[in-house]
Amino acid sequence: MSLALKSVDKTESKVKVKGIKSNDVVGAFGYWIGIIITLGFILIPIFWIGLTSLKTYQQSYTLDLFFGPTLDNFKIIFDDPLTMGPKLLNSLTVGILTVVIAIPLAMMAAYAFSRFRFRGSNLLMVWVLTTQFIPPVVIILPFFNLFRAVGLIDTIQGLVILDLAIVLPYATWMIKGYIDSLPIEVEEAALVDGANDLGILYRITFPLVMPGIIVAAVFGFIACWNEFLFALIIGSRNTQTLQVGFYGVASGPRGLQWELMSATGMLVMVPILILSLLIRKHFVGGLTMGAVK
Amino acid sequence: MRGKYAKFIMLSPAILVLLATTTYPLLYALVISLRNWQLTKSQEPTDWVGLDNYTQAFTDSGFTNSLQVTFLFTILSVSLSLGIGLAIALLVQKKSLVNTIIKTLLIFPFAVSPTLKGFSWKFMLNSEYGLYDHLVKTVFPPARDIIWLNDTFWAMFSLAMSETWGWAPLIALMFVGALGTISPEITEAARLDGANNVSLFFYVTLPLLRPVILIALLLKTIFSLKMFDQVVTMTGGGPGRSTQTFNYFIYQVGFRNLDMGYASALAIMLVIFLSILAYLYVKLLLGKQV
Repeated sequence: MSLALKSVDKTESKVKVKGIKSNDVVGAFGYWIGIIITLGFILIPIFWIGLTSLKTYQQSYTLDLFFGPTLDNFKIIFDDPLTMGPKLLNSLTVGILTVVIAIPLAMMAAYAFSRFRFRGSNLLMVWVLTTQFIPPVVIILPFFNLFRAVGLIDTIQGLVILDLAIVLPYATWMIKGYIDSLPIEVEEAALVDGANDLGILYRITFPLVMPGIIVAAVFGFIACWNEFLFALIIGSRNTQTLQVGFYGVASGPRGLQWELMSATGMLVMVPILILSLLIRKHFVGGLTMGAVK
Repeated sequence: MRGKYAKFIMLSPAILVLLATTTYPLLYALVISLRNWQLTKSQEPTDWVGLDNYTQAFTDSGFTNSLQVTFLFTILSVSLSLGIGLAIALLVQKKSLVNTIIKTLLIFPFAVSPTLKGFSWKFMLNSEYGLYDHLVKTVFPPARDIIWLNDTFWAMFSLAMSETWGWAPLIALMFVGALGTISPEITEAARLDGANNVSLFFYVTLPLLRPVILIALLLKTIFSLKMFDQVVTMTGGGPGRSTQTFNYFIYQVGFRNLDMGYASALAIMLVIFLSILAYLYVKLLLGKQV
């Protein structure tokens, strides 16, 4: 293999030596134009939100790049009437609770799916996979009526139950993928050394797939944090999440104030950007559940 | 694990939660879809109406409109996401510092919440002070009379673009991964046979990318059909009802008109359609694993 690679390298360098011509200059020029357009495409909305969050009400209606920045907006969104503080807390609570419940369940199910074959196991696995294609609006219709009956409207518990429907299938499949790639011999060796079944799980298997578990947890949290429809319908008063509060900025006294929208947007966006940076290597594989790695 | 029942003990909590949170609502919606239930008139479902809720849809112009809107949105956002995604992937596929930085930045747009995507694009497309509006009209002056979100076509296009902003980078990353697995020997051999860049792309790269293109296509289509949040924060379904996607329509019927029976019937129709796509996706996914 290394030989083959070397020979390719040689041919490539030959081609390069031959072709220091206008073609390469055009190619390099095109490449950099492409890079600039791509950077603009990815970053302009994020950059503009960040910039606008530092502007005053009047400045937000201009395209100025240079202005006296202010952090006032970040104070205003935490004050009355927008009060993002409790909403931030609700979002954190819902996200963390959902992940804390979903991940252990997903770990157990993923282990069973990965290590055992039994009648119907494939069918069951596919069923778990397809549950995440059920549109949220289908899930919320019945639960809205059920929650009204049992008093779970406008509660954290209600939101956690609904978010489990999103997080659990993802997490199970993701963790299963990581256990699949762990050779069973590792577990068998421990068995020979006299460890018992549970000991193997907690001291060998799960620690070894911990990166995958963390990725699943982070993804689960991001999904809960960004979730809007459930929160809009179930948590519209006391348990407003950040997303619902964000939507509510549009109904402020002066209509939609862009500088406040942007400041709230930063609050919504920045933690998630940091989290996704932490798991960047697993981002694509995680989202497509191992279809593409 | 040697215990005979261990696997079932390990599986049952997750299975039970999923039954309760996904299968139960589906069955519930199926039952309600056969009944009359106007929440404004009654707290409980009333009489059984057979398939009336389903047949009602086909005489409802809101329904046919939302199908057209969803179809157009799906076509636009899928083709834009895959096209731009492929272009970015081809641009940054080689290993270099700049490309690594770009590849890291590519994960950002997808992580941004859909509500924010909607608001930020609405802001940037405003025809008085929007950044994108200004940029586009500077580069292309004939567009200066367009008020993006007041025009039926451009509102739809903008909605699709805001969705593409999140998805194209993600799809680019999927493609970059697949491009990395194409052996340099293959492209080298093709070059020796006299292939130029264009024929190399169409006869070597594209066929080799086919599996990942299919997966991206299905995944993006499924998510396009589920799209909801940006409609709320960006266009509100307007102008008129030109961006009322199917999901948004179900939401309107269920939670604005409070017609639970009809909304359930619509939801079941969406599920049937999505199941077909999900079936194809699963077949692709598992076919690859075996």
